[in-house]
Amino acid sequence: MNGKQLLLKALKERKVRFLFGYTGGAIMPVFDEMERMGAFEFVMARHEQGAAFMAQGLSRASLSTPTPQIGVCLTTSGPGAMNLVTGVADAHMDSVPMLAITGQVATGVIATDAFQESDVVGVMMPICKQTYMPLAAEDVEKTVHEACYVATTGRGGPVIIDLPKDIQNQQAGEDYRFDAKKFRPHLPGYFYTPTPEREPIRQAIELINKSERPLIFCGHGVINSNAGDLLQRFIEKTNIPVASTFHGLSAIPADHPQHLGMMGMHGTVEANRAIMEADLLIALGMRFDDRVTGKLDEYARNAAVIHVEIDASEIDKNVRTTVAINADVYRTLHVLLGDPMLTCIPRRRWWDKLNSFREVMKEDLREEIEVGIGNDNKLLMKGIIHRLSEVTRGRDLIIPDVGQHQMMCARFYNYQTNNSWFGSGGAGTMGCSLPMAIGVKLARPKERVWSISGDGGFQMNFQELGTIMEKQIDVKIIILNNGYLGMVRQWQTFFFDGCFAGTPMQSPDFGLISQAYGIPYRKVELLEDVVPALEEAIACKGAMVLEFICDPAEVILPMIPAGGGFGDMIIRHPHAPKKDQSKQGEAA
Amino acid sequence: MKRRAILAFTLDHPGVLNKISMLIRKKMYNVDTLTVCRARIPGVSRMTITLRESDQARVDQVVRQLEKFTEVISVKELDTDHSYWREVAIIKLEIDASVLETFQGRYNFEILEQKSDDIHILQVAGSTRRIDAFLDEVGQEHIVEIARTGVTAMEK
Ligand SMILES: Cc1ncc(C[n+]2csc(CCOP(=O)(O)OP(=O)(O)O)c2C)c(N)n1
Ligand SMILES: [Mg+2]
Repeated sequence: MNGKQLLLKALKERKVRFLFGYTGGAIMPVFDEMERMGAFEFVMARHEQGAAFMAQGLSRASLSTPTPQIGVCLTTSGPGAMNLVTGVADAHMDSVPMLAITGQVATGVIATDAFQESDVVGVMMPICKQTYMPLAAEDVEKTVHEACYVATTGRGGPVIIDLPKDIQNQQAGEDYRFDAKKFRPHLPGYFYTPTPEREPIRQAIELINKSERPLIFCGHGVINSNAGDLLQRFIEKTNIPVASTFHGLSAIPADHPQHLGMMGMHGTVEANRAIMEADLLIALGMRFDDRVTGKLDEYARNAAVIHVEIDASEIDKNVRTTVAINADVYRTLHVLLGDPMLTCIPRRRWWDKLNSFREVMKEDLREEIEVGIGNDNKLLMKGIIHRLSEVTRGRDLIIPDVGQHQMMCARFYNYQTNNSWFGSGGAGTMGCSLPMAIGVKLARPKERVWSISGDGGFQMNFQELGTIMEKQIDVKIIILNNGYLGMVRQWQTFFFDGCFAGTPMQSPDFGLISQAYGIPYRKVELLEDVVPALEEAIACKGAMVLEFICDPAEVILPMIPAGGGFGDMIIRHPHAPKKDQSKQGEAA
Repeated sequence: MKRRAILAFTLDHPGVLNKISMLIRKKMYNVDTLTVCRARIPGVSRMTITLRESDQARVDQVVRQLEKFTEVISVKELDTDHSYWREVAIIKLEIDASVLETFQGRYNFEILEQKSDDIHILQVAGSTRRIDAFLDEVGQEHIVEIARTGVTAMEK
């Protein structure tokens, strides 16, 4: 067998079904072999970045199914590989397992600036978990197995295989043998410790039992280790409140009485105030990102911290821990739940306090959602998302893009299904939604999938409507069109004296665009049409585009200014506040 | 700023040095010295990196993030009290042999070559401070050229 056959054989053995990609000179041999084999479903993206996000969607959505799959993308060298960069960096920030296979120029011309040569390994090294360049056909198979192993174990991440064209065609030697079942990668420097140690568990339980105001953080690690159910049992058993990170959403039902919602920059008042007041934080699978903590020296000053995290390098990185548990969240919760020392304390005063925090914005938000319209009778995004949540009973899969609408989706959709929320968090990559939704739908074909974008982000990757058209992928597409790069406009409102530099945007006729791709479309401008339009999309067999005309002045609150502390939380719209010029730089 | 030495054992693969130096750059350090050699175990490299940082927590972070690399087998910080830090310097001096003799005994150097009456090439080994002291005492005006290896270190 030759390199390309060994590559595809190994992917097959890894249970890969879908290949997302785009062909070109340096990967043609692999494409040719793939077509002849007929063993994969090839999904052609319209841009390599799209392929990377499709692969992410597949990895992320399938991890909670009985058949987890790793998303694989396949592109040519040079420009093809470089177009993957944003999607790979995004997967790295969000710990998403993914395998990117890029063709490379032949070994004989590497480092001569050959046609379509880029130093893929050099470019990708700092933005992925591992890079490989097999230099013999005999190395290809074991590289694929090792790459998949590294991508999917411990803290997940993207892995790159840069495969020179001559190696794709090279024959393996006569006596080449490889047994995937017996293969164990030789990685003396790769450690991850899924099982928690006894001593920190004992210390953690001691802290939990004596805490008066404990708070649990549900991070991405809860989703990634499939620990949602266990977490729910744990909070019910201990009566401890829980707040979610952006990526922790949907691990437990959003309206669970002990759930305080999302924490951080656009988190709920109750989650953020709880953090300020807590005497113990139990952080499960999260990394204390700056969007979560705000100003570090003011963060949770009174709290002891138990940090459960599979990646040892995250422990003590931003926040000092009292007890560190370097382990898998699922296994840790399992051990904690089984420990008879763990007690349940009513903590009524703590709950009274939390319930009072819940009241701070409740009425304002309820009213805004009910009224559903803002300036010039234009729709409010939060009203639309709330109605979507009601119509779908919170059960559907939601893929937001990046911006105000994303935060509206995080806050106002009532997630009921485990692992039903897929966004770009760490990188915040506009344009992620549409391609990611394609991957999600392929992973979970029986569930309803909503791609929700702003007018800005939609235009970053809407070429992927081509893939939706060609593959007849049933994704319901919502564009929340406020005529602005809304999130940036919000910052301009708060911190730049309302000077809207580079944020107003003219958009094309999204109806004509949908029509060009043969996808049904409806534009919604009136509140009474919102629910019928959502119902129409649900009834529609296959994809549909809904465009909602939204109020550009709507803001997502509360908001903690970047670099600010929780005490700086903005709760009410300041109505174009006059700010001291000299402070502008600081605020941004 | 406190001087730190980090000792790392890594797989002897292409790109590992690149990864490590990239991480140190990303953390915004300027590497003081970096030495690499083969370790006792075949296929393993031994690396000593020195940099300046006063904050212990930040050094621990660098160590943890280095440990995270798949190719890095083990990493630890070596402190001066519990380890030897040594380097070698090759120095070309323009100095009278009689003057050079006066340093003999106090500094441990070896004359590799005497090119003329007053041109000597010698080798000095020792701690950074010791080599600095030697150079100071000899006097900058006598030094024609100097090459230093950078620090390599071992635990006591
Ligand atoms: C690729 C990329 N470029 C720029 C940004 C900065 N950015 C963050 S949100 C945002 C505005 C998004 O506008 P839109 O898609 O219309 O969504 P809205 O906020 O209006 O809901 C921008 C420009 C980004 N996150 N990603
Ligand atoms: Mg917008």
